[in-house]
Amino acid sequence: MATGTQSRDDNGALHWTDRLQRFDRRWIFLAMGLAIVLPLLFPIGLPIKVGSMAQATYNTVEEVKAGDVVFVSLDLDPASTPELEPFYKAVILQLKRKGARLVFATTWYQAPPLVERWIRDAVERPLAPAGTEGYSGAPDRAYKKNVDYVLLGFREGKQATIANMGADLRKTFDYEANDGTPLDQIPMMNGIKQLKDFKLLVLVSAGFPGAKEYVQFVQNRYKLRMVAACTAVSTTDLTPYYQAGQLLGLIGGLAAAAEYESLVGKHGSASAGADVLNITHGVVILAIVFGNLIYFIGRRRARTRARR
Amino acid sequence: MKRTFPLVLGMLAGLYALAEFYLPVYWVRDTTTELQNWVSILGAAAFVLGAINLVHVTWPKIRRREQDWPYKIVLLFCAVLMFGVGIKWHRLFGHEVPARVAVSDGVDGMAEVVVEAPDDVMVKIGTYDPVPARTAAGPAKATVDAGKVSVALYRRVAGYQEISLDVDAAVGKVTTVSGDPEMLWGRKGRTYVWLYDHVFAPCNATMFALLAFFIASAAFRAFRARNVEAALLLGAAIIIMAWRAPVGRIIYSQLPDIGQWILDVPNNGSRRAIMMGAALGAISTSLRVILGLERSHLGSD
Repeated sequence: MATGTQSRDDNGALHWTDRLQRFDRRWIFLAMGLAIVLPLLFPIGLPIKVGSMAQATYNTVEEVKAGDVVFVSLDLDPASTPELEPFYKAVILQLKRKGARLVFATTWYQAPPLVERWIRDAVERPLAPAGTEGYSGAPDRAYKKNVDYVLLGFREGKQATIANMGADLRKTFDYEANDGTPLDQIPMMNGIKQLKDFKLLVLVSAGFPGAKEYVQFVQNRYKLRMVAACTAVSTTDLTPYYQAGQLLGLIGGLAAAAEYESLVGKHGSASAGADVLNITHGVVILAIVFGNLIYFIGRRRARTRARR
Repeated sequence: MKRTFPLVLGMLAGLYALAEFYLPVYWVRDTTTELQNWVSILGAAAFVLGAINLVHVTWPKIRRREQDWPYKIVLLFCAVLMFGVGIKWHRLFGHEVPARVAVSDGVDGMAEVVVEAPDDVMVKIGTYDPVPARTAAGPAKATVDAGKVSVALYRRVAGYQEISLDVDAAVGKVTTVSGDPEMLWGRKGRTYVWLYDHVFAPCNATMFALLAFFIASAAFRAFRARNVEAALLLGAAIIIMAWRAPVGRIIYSQLPDIGQWILDVPNNGSRRAIMMGAALGAISTSLRVILGLERSHLGSD
């Protein structure tokens, strides 16, 4: 608030720099609200350039072959849906059109109903059936429960659950899927006993426990191949693991999810959200620059007055 | 005994967890998995303790009409509500009505399956795509090959029973399946899912979304380049924000390279330093617990 630099003119009124620093913050909220809503109503559609981390993630997932079993950990809550769901849908489409079989689990107690909805929407229904507008890739198909995919569900225990899955996945989930079907009776689970039996781990992670704990507790120990998606705020936490090769790919936030959507070839909510990012980031940058400008002008004026 | 026993127990568990990494023996791995299962069970038990603690802390505040006591009533009500709808009442008091199957004469040379169900039910007959149970043309029906045919009935929304059965279709006969998937209770029940989708999820998302507004406000009011360190921080923040928005690279084509460098070099270097520092701290604290020097986790009694 720079209270130390506040000064009044000869009439006793606050200087304009002080007035600007004290102006009603609801104007900023309004500007932010408009910056979010307007690009959604009137898309700009700026081109999206793919970064190296998104490209590495895509290439790693592309190495999956038909019939390979991929583990997908959805460690999140509804708050992180706008940032993480676009990547989830894009990577599921990519895995489905490659013919991979999927195993889902979560270590977040808030997640199960969300995970079940995401599976209904993206796995049990085709995401890009033949003839989908604006999509030129191979069509995907509806997956069948316990045939093409298995939902293991949720287990409490955080890092301990992750460590347990690394050692004995079946025991961690009491030898059965979330719907009570014994894992022994699900043909696609043949040969899957622990995390290292999966061809790839896809971690969609909003915080603790999540991708970081997978790296720390099981990645190096079992030499697992993993890619991760996280919220933008967690990106800097996970980049050291990407740089070290412990994560083979990393998708940080909505911007990277938009890059991934363009790689997969089906634009979704992340591509639409890229316009929002353009404007909202611009608003925040302008707020920082403008705030500092006022601060320095006010400070300079206060010093000049003090010298007099 | 009250302090010594937990201390010794903690010491043994800690030493075992440490030794486990150096003992490549099969039974050691199994024992570790078992111990980690205990952690999961203890974690689950903590939820029960949490619920008891919630009542223990909140109820006296309501009784004494302390500040914001009406909110505490809302809190308790919501907790009790979620507990209530989490119980599988349909198993306790429900009466699951299975689908009824009736066979009548039909058109010669054709085997037909007809499904009688409410409008909001979806029907899947054999290999046909799912269709609504009732349309303007009448109930869902399909011509099938004679023999076993799978029929599935489910509602479009989650939280209802799924009925699936195999019926015998015969040539010249119409096999009519009647059913109404029952509403479920418990964690997969309709009420629980509805409350999650329409109350918890929007509230949760709203709390997170508010951050955007507070960050914008803080950016204007608090992010000040008061010294060199703060100026560096602000400069890096502006570059990263501009980089993460697609418009950034249109403004300046080298911005992605600069942003990636900031992420790869200064950020990762400092992150590693923090992580190593935290790891060393965790190791020293763990050693203090194992050796019995650190006793604060045992409480103050």
